[in-house]
Amino acid sequence: MALSTQAFIPYRLAMTYVALTCLLVTSLAPMAHAASASSAEQDPLNSFMWPVHRERFLGDSPVVFDERVIVNAPGFAEDSGQVPIELDASALEVSDEPITNIVAWVDLNPIPQLFSYSPMSHGLAKLSLNIRLEQASAVRVAVKQGGTWYVGGTYIEAEGGGCTTPGIATADNDWENTFGELQGRLFANDAEQRLRVRLSHPMDSGLIPSQPAFYVQSFELLDQQGQQVATLDIEASVSANPTLGLHMRPSPGGYVIGAKDNNGNRFAIGLQP
Amino acid sequence: MKACFLAALSTLLITPLAASESVMFCERPLMAQQVAENTWMVEGLKEELSSNNCGHIGNQAFIVTPNGVILIDSGSSPAFGEALKTLIAQYTSQPVRWVLNTHHHPDHFFGNAAFGEAQHLTLASTRALMSRDREALIDNVERLTGRTLERSHIALPDVVEAGELMLESYPLTLFALGGHSGGDLVIMDDSTGVLFLGDMGFYQRAAATAHTPGLHQWQEELNELRTLDAKIAIPGHGPSAHPDTIIDQTAGYLAWLDQHLSAVASEGLGANHALAVEIPGAFSALALAEYELTRSIMQLYPRYEARLLWDTPP
Repeated sequence: MALSTQAFIPYRLAMTYVALTCLLVTSLAPMAHAASASSAEQDPLNSFMWPVHRERFLGDSPVVFDERVIVNAPGFAEDSGQVPIELDASALEVSDEPITNIVAWVDLNPIPQLFSYSPMSHGLAKLSLNIRLEQASAVRVAVKQGGTWYVGGTYIEAEGGGCTTPGIATADNDWENTFGELQGRLFANDAEQRLRVRLSHPMDSGLIPSQPAFYVQSFELLDQQGQQVATLDIEASVSANPTLGLHMRPSPGGYVIGAKDNNGNRFAIGLQP
Repeated sequence: MKACFLAALSTLLITPLAASESVMFCERPLMAQQVAENTWMVEGLKEELSSNNCGHIGNQAFIVTPNGVILIDSGSSPAFGEALKTLIAQYTSQPVRWVLNTHHHPDHFFGNAAFGEAQHLTLASTRALMSRDREALIDNVERLTGRTLERSHIALPDVVEAGELMLESYPLTLFALGGHSGGDLVIMDDSTGVLFLGDMGFYQRAAATAHTPGLHQWQEELNELRTLDAKIAIPGHGPSAHPDTIIDQTAGYLAWLDQHLSAVASEGLGANHALAVEIPGAFSALALAEYELTRSIMQLYPRYEARLLWDTPP
């Protein structure tokens, strides 16, 4: 019975999405055609949600699928509440053209968007964090450089093993005791300062009945003068207790990382090399 | 005539029934191998639960004593338990009177239901974990094997203490460990020299670490088991072998995994860096090596990071 339910819901959902996608594609076809190179835009992950999310997150700008946008992730989600993904688009930084924005989403999550990252003056085109995966899905990262979106992605199966039980990686039922703890470490080399940060926060999405949305909305990075040098907006598809790997240009005085949630709570930590 | 009748009757009593016909499970013959006097093991496939193996992935063992059969672990479904019961009946006319479950994972106790007339025994720690995870584990078995389980039949065993256990007149020594799952019953049979490791030992198949309290504890407990001087050991997964052979392989793999996770986590590199590793030659040939490594990293990396970067106790 459990099996038939599992098979049935995604199928029905899928058909709804297909219908929706067909509608959108049909109605938007002339506009989409005018805006992009179209035929080069064949989704390598062959996901029916690509046209919808492309329209939603990337708008009218030209789009190129590019292998230089690397998305690393395990092939399957052992714990679907905590799936580590890692973006590396550093190959694009060879060009002098600045990277203005990096957005990421999960094609089949109820809250598709993961983050929108503005590397600004000090952020490098690398980022890692843990995400929630509702079901097997394509995961996308789009990097905007010189008006064009360069898109990479990977596909993650959502199926743990036979002795896996929920929340193995992060059994954390007493989050109130550690709420708001922001911990961080800075690892420096000549090329970059790598920041590893963890914020204790439940990241409640609001999708569970009787549980209001309560999640971190944004991180910002400040240099030693208090100048904002990079920002990262996240959605509740990022896992509980967000753990970020940020890669920054070397700053002699290190960085201050600030965070804010949708209830107005603010958190901050300073990290020195 | 009378002598002939008695002879026939005694043959009937001690000869296994239908010994020639093989017992089928999941369209394959179910086999038992003798590992010592009065002791057999049934080896599972070195795979994850799937519709291909119908859940027969773990090992079971049975000891035929003068007063009944002792079964150690029962497989991942009542249907498998029934097949196992038929198989055991080919080797003895004694009934299974005791089922000992080594730990709470589904491939080790979900077959208990087929042995309703036997006493089911496990450690208190194991029973508590069975109670905690039973529903989620039933869901997993159903999802992965594509077979429905009768939920109400998956019952919890009674509790037994570590130390000497007399089953009628048959003595066993029980050890309460926890390195693999948090509640691991290891059984030594001094009369035959057989050590029943449960999933404390994996052989020729990569170790599963989902519920380990810590890889150090697991290794330390394995080293203690070396002192028992057993002649042969039966792991939870994979073939039987000399205890040191199995312990060397399991402990060696755990030591490598521990060292690898520590190295990546202490540099703040993230779980995906831990995944991008070449498995050392000694372990790369183990069944499910890449699969279990991926799972282990996903399960354990946050703990290593908590300890090495955030100084939070595990």
